[in-house]
Amino acid sequence: MVKTLLTGFSLSALLAVVAAGQAASKAQPLPGLDATVTKVEHAASASLRDCPPGTNTVNAVTRPGEQFALVTVAFKVSSTFKAAPMKRPTVTDATDKKYNTASTFVDVGSVPEYSCTFPFRLPEGTKLKSLQIESASLDLSSLDK
Amino acid sequence: MEVDRRAFIASLGGVAAVNLMDHEAKAEALEHYMEDKLDEMVAAQQPEKFPTVAEIEAQITTRPYRRGAGSVFTGQRGENVKLIEPMPAKPTLNDFFRLRFAPANHVLQSATRAMKTGMSEEIILACLLHDCVLSLIKPDHGWWGAQLFEPYIPEKSAFAIRYHQTLRFYADDDAGYEYPDQYYRIFGHDYQPPQYIADTYKMLKNHKWYMEPRLVTVNDLYAFDPNAKVSIEPFQDIIGRHFKQPKEGLGYDNSPSAHMWRTLARPDNPL
Repeated sequence: MVKTLLTGFSLSALLAVVAAGQAASKAQPLPGLDATVTKVEHAASASLRDCPPGTNTVNAVTRPGEQFALVTVAFKVSSTFKAAPMKRPTVTDATDKKYNTASTFVDVGSVPEYSCTFPFRLPEGTKLKSLQIESASLDLSSLDK
Repeated sequence: MEVDRRAFIASLGGVAAVNLMDHEAKAEALEHYMEDKLDEMVAAQQPEKFPTVAEIEAQITTRPYRRGAGSVFTGQRGENVKLIEPMPAKPTLNDFFRLRFAPANHVLQSATRAMKTGMSEEIILACLLHDCVLSLIKPDHGWWGAQLFEPYIPEKSAFAIRYHQTLRFYADDDAGYEYPDQYYRIFGHDYQPPQYIADTYKMLKNHKWYMEPRLVTVNDLYAFDPNAKVSIEPFQDIIGRHFKQPKEGLGYDNSPSAHMWRTLARPDNPL
Protein backbone atom coordinates (compact mmCIF):
# COMPACT_ATOMS: atom_id res chain seq x y z
CA MET A 1 0.00 0.00 0.00
CA VAL A 2 2.77 2.40 0.93
CA LYS A 3 4.54 1.51 -2.30
CA THR A 4 1.37 2.22 -4.25
CA LEU A 5 1.08 5.51 -2.43
CA LEU A 6 4.58 6.57 -3.32
CA THR A 7 4.48 5.43 -6.93
CA GLY A 8 0.92 6.19 -7.92
CA PHE A 9 0.12 9.31 -5.98
CA SER A 10 0.49 12.62 -7.77
CA LEU A 11 2.01 15.53 -5.92
CA SER A 12 -1.36 17.20 -5.60
CA ALA A 13 -2.96 14.20 -3.97
CA LEU A 14 -0.02 13.87 -1.62
CA LEU A 15 -0.36 17.50 -0.64
CA ALA A 16 -4.02 16.92 0.03
CA VAL A 17 -3.16 14.13 2.43
CA VAL A 18 -0.63 16.32 4.18
CA ALA A 19 -3.11 19.19 4.33
CA ALA A 20 -5.83 17.05 5.82
CA GLY A 21 -3.75 16.55 8.94
CA GLN A 22 -3.25 20.25 9.62
CA ALA A 23 -5.23 22.60 11.81
CA ALA A 24 -8.05 24.47 10.10
CA SER A 25 -8.06 28.26 9.92
CA LYS A 26 -11.34 29.95 10.92
CA ALA A 27 -12.81 33.42 10.57
CA GLN A 28 -16.07 35.30 10.21
CA PRO A 29 -15.97 37.29 6.94
CA LEU A 30 -19.40 38.78 7.60
CA PRO A 31 -21.64 38.69 10.69
CA GLY A 32 -23.39 35.35 10.76
CA LEU A 33 -21.09 33.71 8.24
CA ASP A 34 -18.38 31.38 9.56
CA ALA A 35 -15.60 30.28 7.22
CA THR A 36 -13.10 27.50 7.90
CA VAL A 37 -10.33 26.59 5.49
CA THR A 38 -10.27 22.81 5.40
CA LYS A 39 -7.89 21.97 2.60
CA VAL A 40 -5.33 23.35 0.17
CA GLU A 41 -4.49 21.22 -2.87
CA HIS A 42 -2.58 21.80 -6.07
CA ALA A 43 -3.79 20.57 -9.43
CA ALA A 44 -3.43 21.05 -13.18
CA SER A 45 -7.13 21.70 -13.69
CA ALA A 46 -9.89 23.28 -11.67
CA SER A 47 -13.65 22.99 -11.65
CA LEU A 48 -15.32 26.36 -12.16
CA ARG A 49 -18.22 26.51 -9.76
CA ASP A 50 -19.79 29.31 -7.82
CA CYS A 51 -20.08 29.39 -4.06
CA PRO A 52 -22.28 27.74 -2.82
CA PRO A 53 -21.42 25.28 -5.59
CA GLY A 54 -23.79 24.00 -8.23
CA THR A 55 -22.80 21.38 -10.76
CA ASN A 56 -21.31 23.58 -13.46
CA THR A 57 -19.38 21.36 -15.86
CA VAL A 58 -16.74 23.81 -17.08
CA ASN A 59 -13.12 23.51 -15.95
CA ALA A 60 -10.05 25.66 -16.34
CA VAL A 61 -6.69 24.16 -17.18
CA THR A 62 -3.19 25.38 -16.49
CA ARG A 63 -0.59 26.45 -18.99
CA PRO A 64 3.03 25.29 -18.72
CA GLY A 65 4.67 26.68 -15.59
CA GLU A 66 1.37 27.19 -13.78
CA GLN A 67 -0.64 25.34 -11.19
CA PHE A 68 -3.99 25.80 -9.56
CA ALA A 69 -4.14 26.10 -5.80
CA LEU A 70 -7.53 24.73 -4.78
CA VAL A 71 -8.54 26.25 -1.46
CA THR A 72 -11.51 24.53 0.14
CA VAL A 73 -13.53 26.51 2.65
CA ALA A 74 -16.43 25.26 4.77
CA PHE A 75 -19.13 27.86 5.40
CA LYS A 76 -21.82 27.99 8.07
CA VAL A 77 -24.60 30.52 7.77
CA SER A 78 -26.47 31.49 10.93
CA SER A 79 -29.82 33.24 11.26
CA THR A 80 -28.09 36.56 11.93
CA PHE A 81 -26.52 36.57 8.46
CA LYS A 82 -27.83 39.31 6.21
CA ALA A 83 -27.48 38.58 2.52
CA ALA A 84 -25.18 41.03 0.76
CA PRO A 85 -23.06 40.89 -2.37
CA MET A 86 -19.61 39.54 -1.54
CA LYS A 87 -16.38 40.14 -3.41
CA ARG A 88 -14.47 37.21 -4.83
CA PRO A 89 -11.88 35.86 -2.41
CA THR A 90 -8.17 36.45 -2.99
CA VAL A 91 -5.03 34.73 -1.75
CA THR A 92 -1.56 36.07 -1.03
CA ASP A 93 1.75 34.26 -1.27
CA ALA A 94 4.76 34.60 1.00
CA THR A 95 5.75 37.87 -0.70
CA ASP A 96 2.21 39.27 -0.27
CA LYS A 97 1.52 39.05 -4.01
CA LYS A 98 -2.21 38.82 -4.51
CA TYR A 99 -3.99 36.28 -6.74
CA ASN A 100 -7.62 36.23 -7.86
CA THR A 101 -10.06 33.41 -8.31
CA ALA A 102 -12.74 33.14 -10.97
CA SER A 103 -15.20 31.66 -8.45
CA THR A 104 -17.85 34.04 -7.23
CA PHE A 105 -20.16 34.12 -4.24
CA VAL A 106 -23.72 33.76 -5.46
CA ASP A 107 -26.66 33.47 -3.04
CA VAL A 108 -24.41 33.00 -0.02
CA GLY A 109 -27.28 32.66 2.46
CA SER A 110 -29.31 30.23 0.36
CA VAL A 111 -28.18 27.13 2.29
CA PRO A 112 -27.09 26.88 5.94
CA GLU A 113 -23.92 24.86 5.44
CA TYR A 114 -21.72 24.17 2.44
CA SER A 115 -18.17 23.83 1.23
CA CYS A 116 -16.59 25.69 -1.68
CA THR A 117 -13.34 25.09 -3.50
CA PHE A 118 -11.80 28.27 -4.90
CA PRO A 119 -9.22 27.82 -7.68
CA PHE A 120 -6.30 30.23 -7.86
CA ARG A 121 -4.00 30.21 -10.89
CA LEU A 122 -0.40 30.53 -9.66
CA PRO A 123 3.15 30.14 -10.93
CA GLU A 124 4.29 26.59 -10.24
CA GLY A 125 5.81 26.16 -6.79
CA THR A 126 4.03 29.15 -5.23
CA LYS A 127 3.15 28.63 -1.58
CA LEU A 128 0.20 30.47 -0.14
CA LYS A 129 0.17 32.52 3.02
CA SER A 130 -3.40 33.65 3.47
CA LEU A 131 -6.91 33.75 2.07
CA GLN A 132 -8.95 36.95 2.16
CA ILE A 133 -12.73 36.83 2.22
CA GLU A 134 -14.17 40.31 2.61
CA SER A 135 -12.29 41.78 5.61
CA ALA A 136 -11.33 38.41 7.10
CA SER A 137 -7.93 36.86 6.61
CA LEU A 138 -7.47 33.13 7.03
CA ASP A 139 -4.08 31.51 7.42
CA LEU A 140 -3.08 29.06 4.69
CA SER A 141 0.61 28.62 5.47
CA SER A 142 0.03 25.64 7.76
CA LEU A 143 -2.14 23.92 5.13
CA ASP A 144 -0.14 24.70 1.98
CA LYS A 145 2.96 22.59 2.53
CA MET B 1 -6.72 8.92 2.52
CA GLU B 2 -10.08 9.11 4.25
CA VAL B 3 -12.12 5.92 4.06
CA ASP B 4 -15.88 6.17 3.91
CA ARG B 5 -16.75 3.41 6.38
CA ARG B 6 -20.28 2.93 5.06
CA ALA B 7 -19.17 2.79 1.43
CA PHE B 8 -16.42 0.35 2.32
CA ILE B 9 -18.80 -1.98 4.20
CA ALA B 10 -21.35 -1.71 1.39
CA SER B 11 -18.65 -2.67 -1.14
CA LEU B 12 -18.12 -5.88 0.81
CA GLY B 13 -21.80 -6.78 0.78
CA GLY B 14 -22.96 -5.14 4.00
CA VAL B 15 -22.45 -5.61 7.72
CA ALA B 16 -23.52 -9.27 7.71
CA ALA B 17 -20.90 -10.12 5.09
CA VAL B 18 -18.20 -8.23 6.99
CA ASN B 19 -19.05 -10.10 10.22
CA LEU B 20 -18.28 -13.39 8.46
CA MET B 21 -14.74 -12.24 7.59
CA ASP B 22 -11.73 -12.84 9.84
CA HIS B 23 -9.35 -10.01 10.73
CA GLU B 24 -6.87 -10.85 7.99
CA ALA B 25 -9.57 -10.92 5.33
CA LYS B 26 -10.91 -7.58 6.55
CA ALA B 27 -7.43 -6.03 6.45
CA GLU B 28 -6.86 -7.37 2.97
CA ALA B 29 -10.26 -6.11 1.80
CA LEU B 30 -9.49 -2.70 3.25
CA GLU B 31 -6.18 -2.58 1.45
CA HIS B 32 -7.79 -3.53 -1.88
CA TYR B 33 -10.52 -0.97 -1.31
CA MET B 34 -7.98 1.76 -0.62
CA GLU B 35 -5.91 0.82 -3.65
CA ASP B 36 -8.99 0.98 -5.85
CA LYS B 37 -9.91 4.37 -4.45
CA LEU B 38 -6.37 5.57 -4.94
CA ASP B 39 -6.44 4.45 -8.56
CA GLU B 40 -9.69 6.36 -9.00
CA MET B 41 -8.15 9.49 -7.47
CA VAL B 42 -5.06 9.26 -9.64
CA ALA B 43 -7.17 8.62 -12.75
CA ALA B 44 -9.29 11.65 -11.92
CA GLN B 45 -6.16 13.76 -11.75
CA GLN B 46 -4.80 12.72 -15.12
CA PRO B 47 -5.12 15.71 -17.39
CA GLU B 48 -7.74 15.24 -20.09
CA LYS B 49 -6.26 14.77 -23.55
CA PHE B 50 -7.71 17.48 -25.73
CA PRO B 51 -7.86 17.14 -29.54
CA THR B 52 -5.69 19.17 -31.88
CA VAL B 53 -7.05 21.52 -34.52
CA ALA B 54 -6.03 18.97 -37.17
CA GLU B 55 -7.95 16.19 -35.37
CA ILE B 56 -11.06 18.34 -35.23
CA GLU B 57 -10.75 19.24 -38.91
CA ALA B 58 -10.41 15.54 -39.75
CA GLN B 59 -13.95 15.03 -38.37
CA ILE B 60 -15.59 17.44 -40.83
CA THR B 61 -16.34 14.87 -43.51
CA THR B 62 -17.70 12.38 -40.96
CA ARG B 63 -20.88 14.43 -40.48
CA PRO B 64 -23.92 14.96 -42.71
CA TYR B 65 -24.08 18.60 -41.59
CA ARG B 66 -21.62 21.40 -40.88
CA ARG B 67 -20.84 22.38 -37.33
CA GLY B 68 -21.89 25.94 -38.03
CA ALA B 69 -25.51 25.06 -38.85
CA GLY B 70 -28.01 26.58 -36.46
CA SER B 71 -29.67 24.11 -34.11
CA VAL B 72 -33.11 24.50 -35.72
CA PHE B 73 -31.61 23.08 -38.93
CA THR B 74 -30.07 19.90 -37.55
CA GLY B 75 -31.29 16.88 -35.65
CA GLN B 76 -30.09 16.41 -32.11
CA ARG B 77 -27.53 13.66 -31.50
CA GLY B 78 -27.73 12.29 -35.03
CA GLU B 79 -31.54 12.02 -35.09
CA ASN B 80 -33.76 13.42 -37.82
CA VAL B 81 -35.20 16.85 -37.24
CA LYS B 82 -38.66 17.07 -35.67
CA LEU B 83 -41.74 18.96 -36.79
CA ILE B 84 -41.82 22.32 -35.08
CA GLU B 85 -44.82 24.25 -33.89
CA PRO B 86 -45.69 27.22 -36.14
CA MET B 87 -45.09 30.65 -34.69
CA PRO B 88 -48.05 32.90 -33.86
CA ALA B 89 -48.99 35.55 -36.43
CA LYS B 90 -47.29 38.32 -34.44
CA PRO B 91 -44.55 36.53 -32.56
CA THR B 92 -42.92 38.03 -29.50
CA LEU B 93 -39.55 37.40 -27.90
CA ASN B 94 -41.30 35.09 -25.42
CA ASP B 95 -42.77 33.12 -28.31
CA PHE B 96 -39.31 32.65 -29.80
CA PHE B 97 -37.94 31.52 -26.45
CA ARG B 98 -40.76 28.99 -26.15
CA LEU B 99 -40.85 27.72 -29.72
CA ARG B 100 -37.38 28.24 -31.24
CA PHE B 101 -34.74 28.88 -28.58
CA ALA B 102 -36.02 26.27 -26.10
CA PRO B 103 -34.79 24.86 -23.83
CA ALA B 104 -32.47 27.89 -23.68
CA ASN B 105 -31.16 26.58 -20.38
CA HIS B 106 -27.70 28.04 -20.86
CA VAL B 107 -28.81 31.61 -21.53
CA LEU B 108 -31.39 31.47 -18.73
CA GLN B 109 -28.72 30.26 -16.30
CA SER B 110 -26.37 32.94 -17.45
CA ALA B 111 -28.96 35.69 -16.97
CA THR B 112 -30.02 34.25 -13.62
CA ARG B 113 -26.45 34.42 -12.38
CA ALA B 114 -26.07 37.98 -13.68
CA MET B 115 -29.23 38.93 -11.80
CA LYS B 116 -28.11 37.25 -8.57
CA THR B 117 -24.74 38.97 -8.68
CA GLY B 118 -26.34 42.39 -9.05
CA MET B 119 -25.40 43.24 -12.61
CA SER B 120 -27.07 45.98 -14.62
CA GLU B 121 -30.28 45.30 -16.53
CA GLU B 122 -28.45 45.82 -19.83
CA ILE B 123 -26.00 43.07 -18.89
CA ILE B 124 -28.73 40.75 -17.61
CA LEU B 125 -30.56 41.23 -20.91
CA ALA B 126 -27.35 40.62 -22.88
CA CYS B 127 -26.76 37.41 -20.91
CA LEU B 128 -30.33 36.32 -21.60
CA LEU B 129 -29.91 36.83 -25.35
CA HIS B 130 -26.19 36.24 -25.94
CA ASP B 131 -26.37 32.75 -27.49
CA CYS B 132 -29.97 32.66 -28.78
CA VAL B 133 -28.76 33.13 -32.35
CA LEU B 134 -27.11 29.69 -32.19
CA SER B 135 -30.52 28.40 -33.20
CA LEU B 136 -29.98 30.20 -36.51
CA ILE B 137 -26.23 30.05 -37.08
CA LYS B 138 -23.09 29.32 -35.08
CA PRO B 139 -19.97 30.86 -36.68
CA ASP B 140 -19.44 34.45 -35.58
CA HIS B 141 -22.44 34.14 -33.29
CA GLY B 142 -21.52 37.31 -31.44
CA TRP B 143 -21.89 39.43 -34.55
CA TRP B 144 -24.96 37.56 -35.81
CA GLY B 145 -26.57 37.71 -32.37
CA ALA B 146 -26.00 41.42 -32.01
CA GLN B 147 -27.43 41.98 -35.49
CA LEU B 148 -30.52 39.92 -34.69
CA PHE B 149 -31.34 41.88 -31.53
CA GLU B 150 -29.85 45.29 -32.29
CA PRO B 151 -33.06 46.98 -33.49
CA TYR B 152 -34.84 46.09 -30.25
CA ILE B 153 -32.37 46.37 -27.36
CA PRO B 154 -30.12 48.97 -25.67
CA GLU B 155 -26.86 49.75 -27.44
CA LYS B 156 -24.79 48.44 -24.52
CA SER B 157 -26.59 45.10 -24.59
CA ALA B 158 -25.97 44.73 -28.33
CA PHE B 159 -22.32 45.67 -27.84
CA ALA B 160 -22.01 43.04 -25.10
CA ILE B 161 -23.58 40.35 -27.29
CA ARG B 162 -21.44 41.23 -30.33
CA TYR B 163 -18.12 41.15 -28.50
CA HIS B 164 -18.60 38.42 -25.92
CA GLN B 165 -17.58 36.00 -28.71
CA THR B 166 -14.16 37.65 -28.96
CA LEU B 167 -13.54 37.91 -25.22
CA ARG B 168 -14.35 34.22 -24.71
CA PHE B 169 -10.91 33.49 -26.21
CA TYR B 170 -9.01 35.67 -23.73
CA ALA B 171 -8.72 35.07 -20.01
CA ASP B 172 -9.12 38.01 -17.64
CA ASP B 173 -7.87 37.29 -14.18
CA ASP B 174 -9.15 40.56 -12.68
CA ALA B 175 -12.65 40.05 -14.03
CA GLY B 176 -12.75 36.38 -13.00
CA TYR B 177 -12.77 34.89 -16.47
CA GLU B 178 -10.77 31.73 -17.15
CA TYR B 179 -10.22 30.21 -20.59
CA PRO B 180 -12.60 27.22 -20.50
CA ASP B 181 -11.54 23.64 -21.11
CA GLN B 182 -14.59 23.22 -23.35
CA TYR B 183 -12.85 25.50 -25.87
CA TYR B 184 -9.92 23.08 -26.02
CA ARG B 185 -12.48 20.39 -26.91
CA ILE B 186 -14.41 22.52 -29.42
CA PHE B 187 -11.52 24.27 -31.19
CA GLY B 188 -8.47 22.13 -30.32
CA HIS B 189 -5.83 22.75 -27.68
CA ASP B 190 -3.49 24.34 -30.22
CA TYR B 191 -6.11 26.69 -31.65
CA GLN B 192 -5.17 30.30 -32.22
CA PRO B 193 -8.03 32.76 -32.76
CA PRO B 194 -7.99 34.25 -36.28
CA GLN B 195 -6.54 37.68 -36.91
CA TYR B 196 -9.89 39.50 -36.93
CA ILE B 197 -10.61 38.16 -33.44
CA ALA B 198 -7.15 39.22 -32.23
CA ASP B 199 -7.70 42.68 -33.76
CA THR B 200 -11.13 42.95 -32.17
CA TYR B 201 -9.67 42.00 -28.79
CA LYS B 202 -7.03 44.70 -29.17
CA MET B 203 -9.78 47.25 -29.87
CA LEU B 204 -11.90 46.05 -26.94
CA LYS B 205 -9.09 46.22 -24.40
CA ASN B 206 -9.08 50.00 -24.69
CA HIS B 207 -12.81 50.45 -25.14
CA LYS B 208 -14.85 52.23 -22.46
CA TRP B 209 -17.43 49.46 -22.66
CA TYR B 210 -14.92 46.61 -22.33
CA MET B 211 -16.63 45.30 -19.20
CA GLU B 212 -20.02 44.89 -20.90
CA PRO B 213 -19.02 41.89 -23.06
CA ARG B 214 -16.55 40.77 -20.40
CA LEU B 215 -19.37 40.38 -17.86
CA VAL B 216 -21.29 38.30 -20.39
CA THR B 217 -18.29 35.97 -20.67
CA VAL B 218 -18.00 35.68 -16.89
CA ASN B 219 -21.64 34.59 -16.60
CA ASP B 220 -21.28 32.46 -19.75
CA LEU B 221 -18.52 30.44 -18.10
CA TYR B 222 -20.65 29.53 -15.10
CA ALA B 223 -23.85 28.64 -16.96
CA PHE B 224 -23.27 25.00 -17.87
CA ASP B 225 -24.96 23.41 -14.88
CA PRO B 226 -27.10 20.44 -15.97
CA ASN B 227 -29.06 20.55 -12.71
CA ALA B 228 -29.89 24.24 -12.56
CA LYS B 229 -33.60 25.06 -12.50
CA VAL B 230 -34.29 28.23 -14.43
CA SER B 231 -37.14 29.96 -16.23
CA ILE B 232 -37.73 33.10 -18.22
CA GLU B 233 -40.29 34.44 -15.74
CA PRO B 234 -37.83 36.43 -13.54
CA PHE B 235 -36.78 38.39 -16.63
CA GLN B 236 -40.19 39.54 -17.83
CA ASP B 237 -39.84 42.97 -16.25
CA ILE B 238 -36.41 43.50 -17.80
CA ILE B 239 -37.70 42.34 -21.19
CA GLY B 240 -40.67 44.67 -20.80
CA ARG B 241 -38.44 47.62 -19.96
CA HIS B 242 -35.66 47.05 -22.50
CA PHE B 243 -36.90 44.94 -25.40
CA LYS B 244 -38.83 47.00 -27.96
CA GLN B 245 -41.33 44.41 -29.05
CA PRO B 246 -42.64 45.43 -32.53
CA LYS B 247 -46.42 45.54 -32.74
CA GLU B 248 -46.32 43.73 -36.11
CA GLY B 249 -44.46 40.83 -34.52
CA LEU B 250 -40.76 39.90 -34.82
CA GLY B 251 -40.05 39.27 -38.48
CA TYR B 252 -42.78 41.53 -39.82
CA ASP B 253 -41.67 44.99 -38.75
CA ASN B 254 -39.30 45.63 -41.68
CA SER B 255 -36.35 46.04 -39.31
CA PRO B 256 -32.82 45.28 -40.60
CA SER B 257 -33.00 41.86 -38.93
CA ALA B 258 -36.64 40.98 -39.70
CA HIS B 259 -35.55 38.38 -42.27
CA MET B 260 -33.47 36.61 -39.61
CA TRP B 261 -36.50 36.25 -37.35
CA ARG B 262 -38.55 34.96 -40.30
CA THR B 263 -35.85 32.39 -41.07
CA LEU B 264 -36.00 31.23 -37.46
CA ALA B 265 -39.78 31.14 -37.64
CA ARG B 266 -39.83 29.02 -40.84
CA PRO B 267 -36.62 27.01 -41.02
CA ASP B 268 -38.20 24.37 -43.31
CA ASN B 269 -38.72 26.83 -46.18
CA PRO B 270 -36.45 25.63 -49.01
CA LEU B 271 -35.88 29.12 -50.44
